[in-house]
Amino acid sequence: MADIQVKELTFGYAESKPVLQGISLSFDGRSTAIIGQNGAGKTTFVKLLKGLLKPTAGDVLIDGQNTREATVASLAGRIGMVFQNPNDQIFKNKVLDEVMFGPLNIGMSEGEAKEHAEAALALVGLCGLEQENPYDLSLSERKMVAIASILAMDTGVVIFDEPTIAQDWRGRRTIGSIIRGLRERGKLVIAILHDMDFVAEYFERTVVFAKGRVLLDGGTREVFAKEECLRAAYLEPPHVTQLCKSLGYNEVFLTAEDFVSHVKGNGFTV
Amino acid sequence: MKEISLYEEKDTPIHALDPLTKILYILAAILVPALYGGRTAMAAFIAASIAVLLAGRVLRRTLPILSFSFIVLITVVIIQGLFRAGNTTVAFALGPVVFYREGLSFALGIGLNVVNILLSFSILVLTTRPSDLVEAMVRLGLSPKLGYVLASVFQIIPQMTATMGTITDAQRSRGMETEGSLLVRIKAFLPLIAPVVMNSLITTKERAIALEVRGFDSRREKTFLRERKARGRDKAVNALLAVLIVLALIGRVTIWLT
Repeated sequence: MADIQVKELTFGYAESKPVLQGISLSFDGRSTAIIGQNGAGKTTFVKLLKGLLKPTAGDVLIDGQNTREATVASLAGRIGMVFQNPNDQIFKNKVLDEVMFGPLNIGMSEGEAKEHAEAALALVGLCGLEQENPYDLSLSERKMVAIASILAMDTGVVIFDEPTIAQDWRGRRTIGSIIRGLRERGKLVIAILHDMDFVAEYFERTVVFAKGRVLLDGGTREVFAKEECLRAAYLEPPHVTQLCKSLGYNEVFLTAEDFVSHVKGNGFTV
Repeated sequence: MKEISLYEEKDTPIHALDPLTKILYILAAILVPALYGGRTAMAAFIAASIAVLLAGRVLRRTLPILSFSFIVLITVVIIQGLFRAGNTTVAFALGPVVFYREGLSFALGIGLNVVNILLSFSILVLTTRPSDLVEAMVRLGLSPKLGYVLASVFQIIPQMTATMGTITDAQRSRGMETEGSLLVRIKAFLPLIAPVVMNSLITTKERAIALEVRGFDSRREKTFLRERKARGRDKAVNALLAVLIVLALIGRVTIWLT
């Protein structure tokens, strides 16, 4: 199990304007969603985890190794990150080669890399498109290529930056099941999200960022119960949660299934 | 949007001047000393430029520009002072190194010329937003399409730099080394440049469509977002500069005739 410790992390692009201020977090095995208003520092935070940025003060430890002392490329085998825009990384003529690029870089053999790449492409639902040119695919498919290219690296930590953007219902389901699958295989999943319904459905832990600080941190149900606090961060709970609250339920429901099974369990017929 | 330029936003009368007036000033600063042929004229224009830059509160920003050119100018002084053909009158000697008056005087001329041109251009560059300059040129009759191309250069370059940064991050994240020996760097070239090119092609296409839906290619005469106020101050400065150029021209012609 991968282990990430963040200690008193402070960071700013310009010295006078800190983006993150004194963040301390430790990540356990739970899949974790990071939510917050635009400009709250979410992307900056994950870039620091990935070692793409180095802290102004404080430390980030990945499996005990300080990111200040490691190059990004050397951390790549342990921590993978899917960027928002797949066009920022795709450069090969074939989908399969694109997905194999990462695994080969972190020292897998040709055969191993191919095996991982094919498995990853099957996971994201791109079976049969291995020989296509990525730029002939649609944007949502290219996004899946980008996800597969990180999954194939088989890292202990996988970070997603806005994975559900440009995805239809089916794409969302695929990404959701990938996240669950990673969790079951003991990987640590961290994702930046704006889609609260998606957070409620797939994430065990939720961290709320506001103005460079952690406003809330806890189990997803627990966090979405604190509506007032969320409003202060310009966020709102999932639709089902809001609906059930308006209906007068005291419990916090995260998904429709959640609510339905509760109602049925109480002897109502739906 | 972020632009590459040395322009600094400030609220001074110099910033408010019409960009074309500033261009006319550059013309005058170059033409008048060239026609009149005197170093006094150059020195006068340098003094005027400094005063204008002070009024525009951007004088300090000319320091990096000047200090860079001083490195070149110092070499000119040394080379010309020591070796210029026709050096006869000794100005001073530092041990075995002898500087001659003719060479130094020639170098002084070059120096004044360079500083004069740099400062007069600085007024335009430091106090005019690039897009305003392009707009002024379009008003004068430059084709709006060419104007757009000129203006977009200032925006596209910072945008490409940002994209390049993201792409480097994305590839480093997949374990690609970007720093180190020449071989490592050569190997990193294709994974970095290919997305940049693809992205640029995609953005260009989208930009073209976005422009077209707003009537970029329309044959109707274009109007401007901000109506230009005809201001007395611009006209007065323009007239003054034009008179200076004409006077210098007359002076030159008179010298020829006599």
